[in-house]
Amino acid sequence: MNELLEFLEVEEVLVEVLAALGPLVLLFAVFQVFFLKLPRKYVFNLLKGLLLSFLGLVLFLQGVKVGFIPAGARMGEILGGFAQRWVLVPIGFILGFVATVAEPAVRILSYEIEKTSGGAIGSRTILAVLSVGVAFFVALGMCRILWGVPILYFIVPGYLAAVLMLKFTSPAFISIAFDAGGVATGPMTVTFVMAMAVGVASVMEDRSPILDGFGLISLVALAPILAVMGFGLLYTMRKGK
Amino acid sequence: MPSELKESFREVVWAIAPLTLVVVLLQVSVIHMPGVDFMRFLVGALLVFFGFLLFLQGVKIGLLPMGEMVGAELPKRAGLPVILLTAFLLGFLVTVAEPDVRVLSHQVDLVSQGEIGKNLLIVTVAMGIGIFVCIAMLRIILGIPIAYLLAAAYLAVLALSFFTPPDFVPIAFDAGGVTTGPVTVPFVLALGIGTASVLGGRSTMADAFGLVGLASVGPVLGVMLLGIVYR
Repeated sequence: MNELLEFLEVEEVLVEVLAALGPLVLLFAVFQVFFLKLPRKYVFNLLKGLLLSFLGLVLFLQGVKVGFIPAGARMGEILGGFAQRWVLVPIGFILGFVATVAEPAVRILSYEIEKTSGGAIGSRTILAVLSVGVAFFVALGMCRILWGVPILYFIVPGYLAAVLMLKFTSPAFISIAFDAGGVATGPMTVTFVMAMAVGVASVMEDRSPILDGFGLISLVALAPILAVMGFGLLYTMRKGK
Repeated sequence: MPSELKESFREVVWAIAPLTLVVVLLQVSVIHMPGVDFMRFLVGALLVFFGFLLFLQGVKIGLLPMGEMVGAELPKRAGLPVILLTAFLLGFLVTVAEPDVRVLSHQVDLVSQGEIGKNLLIVTVAMGIGIFVCIAMLRIILGIPIAYLLAAAYLAVLALSFFTPPDFVPIAFDAGGVTTGPVTVPFVLALGIGTASVLGGRSTMADAFGLVGLASVGPVLGVMLLGIVYR
């Protein structure tokens, strides 16, 4: 039972979330006092929202920390010990997909895209494109760990392709694509999937858990950039017809 | 239950259920991790579910309108120097406060055998973000196409990656992702959308987004330069 009680030790996560909120609240307070001067009732509603997101994020991060990370690491160790290690590739694909679907910031981004585009680009479409992109690159990342391919072999052609695609993609999709790259590396994808990658690397010989774990994050950041720009190209082409 | 809450509830079920189901299926079919770990995973999934629900609700009525209002007010009330100073401070402070940066700085400490101290790295990453948030705001206001900036920044990253000590390359790319935490993202997204909304006349979509994307290049360049200097 003791091991389950660890869930109650939220102090660290509490401090983390408070620290992250701090500068934003400060900036808003300065604006409120000097420029915005919103009515008290309105500010009260905003604060209610802040409190909700604070509590929500503490619960979420605590759940990831004490439930998902240990499970991810254990899964990685067990799968890394398998005779047929190739199963890590399809499993990485599926986990990459479902972890991105469960990522809070990805949700917010696709929600904002739907709102700003006046519904032209649906939030589910963006979510699907992003998740498939990340799934594909997590699978690639697993291949990389299994066969020990240097990370630069993926990163350099990947970003070169991204720079090339800039020339053909419409500006709206470029902006969205690079935002998506930053957003996909959130607490669920990075911590859970990385815990698994580190678990795999730790049971294999000649693998450095730290470096292999790192490499996966840079792939997860690259994936949505390529996926969303690719989607943008198709979207513009279809619209042009 | 009000219909909006019901809608959110359904959305969050769809967000968390797939991941939970996949792990449960893997557990019973091939993985068989120890019972305690599995139990903890299930309790964790419950926490994550309720946390996600509260977080989404809260962001929609709190962080998003806050960011949009600050973003819309900024170009109306302040001159360019004040806007840039605000952008830099925002990027810098948010990064210093981000817990992930501390994890990163610890790993860099290890890789460099203590030669690059934690504070040096945190300041480098925060400066990188601050400068690039400035550039991103400037771009929205002056209407510079984002493609030029991204192309220049990433070509610089690629060129530098050949001179950076190999241990630093993955860490540098990782540094780009650390400051895009779930608190910062909604606020910064909304800030860009707010700023673009009062500077009408151009493609709002292209201007409204891209702030997060541009900001994440800053630390990549910063850490690479740090690695080159300390070789």
